[in-house]
Amino acid sequence: MSHVGATGRGERSASNPPRSELGPLLVAQGVERHFEGVRAVDGVSIEIAQGRITGLIGPNGAGKSTLLAVLAGTLPASAGRIWFDGEEVTRLPVHRRARRGLVRTFQLSSEFAELTVLENLLVAAPNHRGDSLLGALLGRRYWGEDERRLVEQARELLDRFGMRGQESEYAGNLSGGQKRLLEVMRALMLRPRLLLLDEPMAGLHPTVVRQISAYLERLRDEGLTILMVEHELGTVERLCDPVIVMAQGRVIGQGPMPLLRRRREIIDAYLVG
Amino acid sequence: MTYYLTTLLVYAGVDVIACVALNLQFGVSGLVNFGFIIFQAVGAYTAAVLSMPPDTANGGFQQYILGLKLPFPIPWLAATAAGGLLAIPIGLVVLRRLRSDYQAIAMLVISVIANTLVTNIRPFLNGAAGLSLVPAPLSEHLDSGSLAYQWLYVALTVLCCWLVLVVANRIVNSPYGRTLRAMRERERAAAALGKNLVALKLTMFVVGGSAAALSGAILVGFIGLWAPASWLYPETIVIFAAIIVGGRGNNLGAILGALLVPVGFEEATRFLPQIGPPGLIPAMQWVAIGLLIIGFLWFRPRGILPEPRRRVEGEA
Repeated sequence: MSHVGATGRGERSASNPPRSELGPLLVAQGVERHFEGVRAVDGVSIEIAQGRITGLIGPNGAGKSTLLAVLAGTLPASAGRIWFDGEEVTRLPVHRRARRGLVRTFQLSSEFAELTVLENLLVAAPNHRGDSLLGALLGRRYWGEDERRLVEQARELLDRFGMRGQESEYAGNLSGGQKRLLEVMRALMLRPRLLLLDEPMAGLHPTVVRQISAYLERLRDEGLTILMVEHELGTVERLCDPVIVMAQGRVIGQGPMPLLRRRREIIDAYLVG
Repeated sequence: MTYYLTTLLVYAGVDVIACVALNLQFGVSGLVNFGFIIFQAVGAYTAAVLSMPPDTANGGFQQYILGLKLPFPIPWLAATAAGGLLAIPIGLVVLRRLRSDYQAIAMLVISVIANTLVTNIRPFLNGAAGLSLVPAPLSEHLDSGSLAYQWLYVALTVLCCWLVLVVANRIVNSPYGRTLRAMRERERAAAALGKNLVALKLTMFVVGGSAAALSGAILVGFIGLWAPASWLYPETIVIFAAIIVGGRGNNLGAILGALLVPVGFEEATRFLPQIGPPGLIPAMQWVAIGLLIIGFLWFRPRGILPEPRRRVEGEA
């Protein structure tokens, strides 16, 4: 089985779901998403290899962000099936997929503006004893130890991403680049196994783009699997292997970027047009 | 004068509980519950029909269900439970499939429907005339007309306020409260971080509904009557106004708002000289509350006591 499956509609038998120890981390088979007759995602079958950054590119309206939303569970699939780590997650709501380690970020910054940077990270921490009604009512003595441990964990992330100095700042006051970093850090607090990034570098200064790229490479080297929608092809070429190309809701090609650049239909659909 | 003071204090306590409860829903969690007043009403009716004798007593001039004549504090406890229980079906219908702006409209509609039904089905809760002669708590043992009893009632109200505040403060200052605030800020992002939005909203519906119902039970035990005119949907707007004025998301702001708007504002207008046709001043009260909301949203949207910045362990 290749890291990224064949284009077009699915080949996997329903009785033969992927096995996590052998196969890819995520498998989508014949996934469709319709909006009142419009097929935004039209029979996409892909496989996301473990420990790599897979790029997802295509012209505007190709269905990239919709596919990401369907994989994460933010939007339900109209048809098709999705497996994550060997288990089918097609019907799981977004919060249950996130708890299993399938975590997404958004195209537009989605910081919790009236929470501080540190609070933004702590919100994402899973299994906090104080993050339930009962835990809250039992008081600080019950959950204080968890809080201290998670604050340490959050501060490690802030140190690593060079944002420790902003921990008490309201997230709404951060710059665009800092908000992007915060969103990535917040997703990392969940200890994801697959991170779905929707244009994490859109509209950012090249220096910040290089900074985020370096962080993503480091995360990949530590074993995190990433699927990333990105428009800037230089960044995609540097970071992503393999790359999936979408147009009009379908996958029209996949593989290493240098090879894709030579394919006529991809050049026509995206690289030139 | 002392009776006036105790009455004012009990009303203030009732409004404080209602405002803190709605603050949990609206200020902290972002739930626009335009049907909030029906939870106070269900508490008042439950406490009334559980503490009153069967409707055949008193010459049968009123019709109502139950009439179990249960001793205090069972009617108050049952009222609190009823508010929470009512929140479950309403919450499941409204919260599961509707977008938050439609949720607000649905709650407003439910509030109007509930009031219309209670008004028109007389055998249920005595229709538009409402329930009267509701026994005061412990009135079979104590003289409910005495000054000592009035102060005892104030003390009971203060105790309930304190309990509700302890619960609200623990929720707001905990990691759970942080999650509720995150949901208020961006629902989609909170869900993508593993938060079950329906469960969070439903829980706040139940907690807020229970507290609102308790406030209704306290009120009906004190004034001895309750009718559909007591819980028309604009009453919810007054509580919203209190939170917007006091400072949404801040329990202290909710208390301040309760003291300034439903208590202070309405008491202040009571002493205005009669001008114009009868009913002009009460009507102008509604206009003034509307202007108060618009003014604060325009000039001071975070209220007099804005939501404080929360410090986590060891934060500078």
